[in-house]
Amino acid sequence: MEDMYIKPGNQERGWNDPPQFSYGLQMARGPQRNLLNKRAVPPASGAGAPPPMPLPSNPLAPPPCGVTPPTPHPGPPPPGYMTTPPPPLGPIRSQVEANSSQSESEPAVEGVVLVLSRALAACRQTVKDQVCNDVAKRLHLLEDSWKSGKLSLPVQRRMDTLVQELQAGHWDSADEIHRSLMVDHVTEVSQWMVGVKRLIAETRKLSPELLEPLQKPAEPALDPVESVQDPVSQS
Amino acid sequence: MATYQEFIQQNEDRDGVRFSWNFWPSSRLEATRLVVPVSCLFTPLKERPDLPPVQYEPVLCSRANCKAVLNPLCQVDFRAKIWACNFCFQRNPFPPSYAGISEVNQPAELMPQFSTIEYIVQHGPPTPLIFLYVVDTCLEEEDLQALKESLQMSLSLLPPNALVGLITFGRMVQVHELSCEGIAKSYVFRGTKDLSSKQIQEMLGLTNSAPLGQQGRPLVPQDAAAFCRFLQPVHRVDMNLTDLLGELQRDPWPVPQGKRPLRSTGVALSVAVGLLEGSFPNTGARVMLFIGGPPTQGPGMVVGDELKTPIRSWHDIQKDNARHLKKATKYYEALANRSAVNGHSIDIYACALDQSGLLEMKCLSTLTGGHIVMGDSFNTSLFKQTFQRVFSKDYNGDFRMAFGGVLEVKTSRELKVCGAIGPCVSLNSKGSCVSENEMGVGGTNQWKVCSLTPSTTLGIYFEVVNQHNAPIPQGGRGAVQFVTQYQHSNTQRRIRVTTIARNWADAQTQIQHIESSFDQEAAAVLMARLGVFRAESEEGPDVLRWLDRQLIRLCQKFGQFNKDDPASFRLSESLSLYPQFMFHLRRSPFLQVFNNSPDESSYYRHHFVRQDLTQSLIMIQPILYSYSFHGPPEPVLLDSSSILPDRILLMDTFFQLVIYHGETISQWRKAGYQKMAEYENFKQLLQAPLDDAQELLHARFPMPRYIDTEHGGSQARFLLSKVNPSQTHNSLYTWGQETGSPILTDDVSLQVFMDHLKKLAVSSST
Repeated sequence: MEDMYIKPGNQERGWNDPPQFSYGLQMARGPQRNLLNKRAVPPASGAGAPPPMPLPSNPLAPPPCGVTPPTPHPGPPPPGYMTTPPPPLGPIRSQVEANSSQSESEPAVEGVVLVLSRALAACRQTVKDQVCNDVAKRLHLLEDSWKSGKLSLPVQRRMDTLVQELQAGHWDSADEIHRSLMVDHVTEVSQWMVGVKRLIAETRKLSPELLEPLQKPAEPALDPVESVQDPVSQS
Repeated sequence: MATYQEFIQQNEDRDGVRFSWNFWPSSRLEATRLVVPVSCLFTPLKERPDLPPVQYEPVLCSRANCKAVLNPLCQVDFRAKIWACNFCFQRNPFPPSYAGISEVNQPAELMPQFSTIEYIVQHGPPTPLIFLYVVDTCLEEEDLQALKESLQMSLSLLPPNALVGLITFGRMVQVHELSCEGIAKSYVFRGTKDLSSKQIQEMLGLTNSAPLGQQGRPLVPQDAAAFCRFLQPVHRVDMNLTDLLGELQRDPWPVPQGKRPLRSTGVALSVAVGLLEGSFPNTGARVMLFIGGPPTQGPGMVVGDELKTPIRSWHDIQKDNARHLKKATKYYEALANRSAVNGHSIDIYACALDQSGLLEMKCLSTLTGGHIVMGDSFNTSLFKQTFQRVFSKDYNGDFRMAFGGVLEVKTSRELKVCGAIGPCVSLNSKGSCVSENEMGVGGTNQWKVCSLTPSTTLGIYFEVVNQHNAPIPQGGRGAVQFVTQYQHSNTQRRIRVTTIARNWADAQTQIQHIESSFDQEAAAVLMARLGVFRAESEEGPDVLRWLDRQLIRLCQKFGQFNKDDPASFRLSESLSLYPQFMFHLRRSPFLQVFNNSPDESSYYRHHFVRQDLTQSLIMIQPILYSYSFHGPPEPVLLDSSSILPDRILLMDTFFQLVIYHGETISQWRKAGYQKMAEYENFKQLLQAPLDDAQELLHARFPMPRYIDTEHGGSQARFLLSKVNPSQTHNSLYTWGQETGSPILTDDVSLQVFMDHLKKLAVSSST
């Protein structure tokens, strides 16, 4: 899943900056698997002497010169299937976002904008003009940045899912996708996303009759390849 | 028969309480001889997914100076419909709505499993949450951009009806009017002039409407919202505010060579506090201050604008050479107290490479329950994620933050309250259960905690007042009731009540009962809080001597030994770890300032006196896990002997996570064995600590620094400085055998510390 990832922290600006978890990953967090809060009990003698430890035969020997494979002394790690630490289970996996191997076609800007415009049109009957115009302005911004290739593929995909949810009347889910986009891709989306957010909030309040035009299936999209210039595959 | 460990854990899970002693000494004299006071760590809003709140008001004892809440410890006469208060023994009739109760039909608050219960009470209209951003614009371009984006992002995390406001500052302070139409307007204040609350409210035009909560009564929020142009619901202004934030520019005033930018943090905060004071007294609100450097002008200035004069160091402070320290601290304390009176909390997000004045400003957060977050830059994952987590939600989808908390502690007669240590201020309520002896913030049994999270934990200290010659009857129990009133993040008013009891024990005949009831983890944290409180308020180095003296006395009291024979000294299991905790505490940044700036010390101490027991103990004695081919990961001693070539270590100090690869492991890693299919198990070994570290990162607030290092790496020093130096460059050869890693240090090791402790404990002359 492309919305579950960890990316490294910003080592340029922050000393030992921790890795950054995506919104989806932070939300998906279940109860902690293994609590690392145990302490070893010191030896019964009241911590008098250092604990006995198995003696490695030659731990202070200088490491082999150069980048030779480990000498017999450190020796290679035991191969194969000896007692291994328990394999990590949990949902956490580092993975690169949006690898291009995803074969699904890129979502089309027209389809996304069409649904949003319909939602806006439905809102025009109840919502103040000034708000609607403001939302319209932001939808244009969205369209422009998409068409000029400023939106990464993950953002495009998540926007596509967002409008599907909006169309299906799944307001909470649409709102959640909007939040995930704001958290994970704020640089790309901050200027126009607030318009989409308002649109979700306003359509949620509309009566079912006003929503009808929104629920019509979107017209077959124009050839997406024409309109989308070389989407950037990494954020 | 449950063990004490189970009993302690069960009490913490159910009531959020950990007591130093779980049997209480029955007289004042015996209590003082136990050295560690009867005291507890209390987490008022501990997360309890299994505890649904009840929808009615608590029943109170009718005695005017008691007003304890009906609880499972009360004697109830079901036929006469009367209950006896277990604190003052007053007999109270049940209210009419309880007419139907009987032995088989009891209200929840009488059932033993509801020793902790939460009531939803509603008076007046709900009040929305308020977030006032106070933003420093003297930042580098990259930092300002990142901060703007984080603030825009936060608008998506806030509840739609929350009120937001924006103040920006540099040389001037700007209060932005938020509206959904027209041109953006702002009110500008000079950054050098200290203004009274009244002046600020007049200048902002907040005083023309008559009532304005002058009686301390919250306004009807709709009126207030319409009235206050500076605080508006998110759902109304989010589009404009997003643009406003997007267009924020760096402070336009030129900064000459060799100068610091002029930063009017003091006035900006004063305006923020004044604005909230005037418009929303006694309503939950958060001032969120974002700074990229120290205040350099006006009231509250911490350092001048000349770069050639560095900001104060510990050395300057000890030499009484910190010019602005006292004045600035006093200024911020006054602001913090005003804010606390109104129930508003103040967060500080300080991101800068140099100090930014946290030492002077920390009281803003400490007294109001606000967060302090310290990072290098706003464009770091450390800041961004920590800031996101301020808005994290619980299992019900509610924010993990509560406002305007008032904690009241009631005790049975044999016990009095000495004080509390935590993010609170005194409400100066001198009830009958308040002791003359103060520990921490004392002289009261009520404290205000302006902002709480589920982990906010206070240390509460008691005194046994029963006289030696007035014994408590066998089987008698002492009781404590904690009553926490607060505003839930869903805007409901709630009251959580926890009532606990412990047995009294005669210290002369039942000392072994008392000894085995000792909770050494809680005791270590509670004594450490006392130590930190002393270090913050009085003398520095004397705190170590005080702690040492307490430890020696405790060992004299409970150790088993023959006089003047250190080798014979033994401690029972319930005290066995305590000396070790004290050893690590002595070396910790909470008591040692060496190698830390005054800001860093303030930051560490701030977090230490508010976290729960588990986190606090991690801060005192970091946790060390070892990963090897010899079995599953296991906890190992925080000792240089644990640093072995074929191990990976994961150390958690709360503020840092360190992954350390032993010498052999790191050679293998460099040789790339993990990439070969036949060494899949090595790959897994390398991955295991990373996965565990991620688990820790997930849960921690604030985000810790994250260090991936190896044998000989410069950053291995984080590990080396924390482990007990059981082998040093001095002892290496005398041991004759070589295990672990010698540490280059002159610090004493745990062994030397223990030897001295034993000698002093058994000595007949001390």
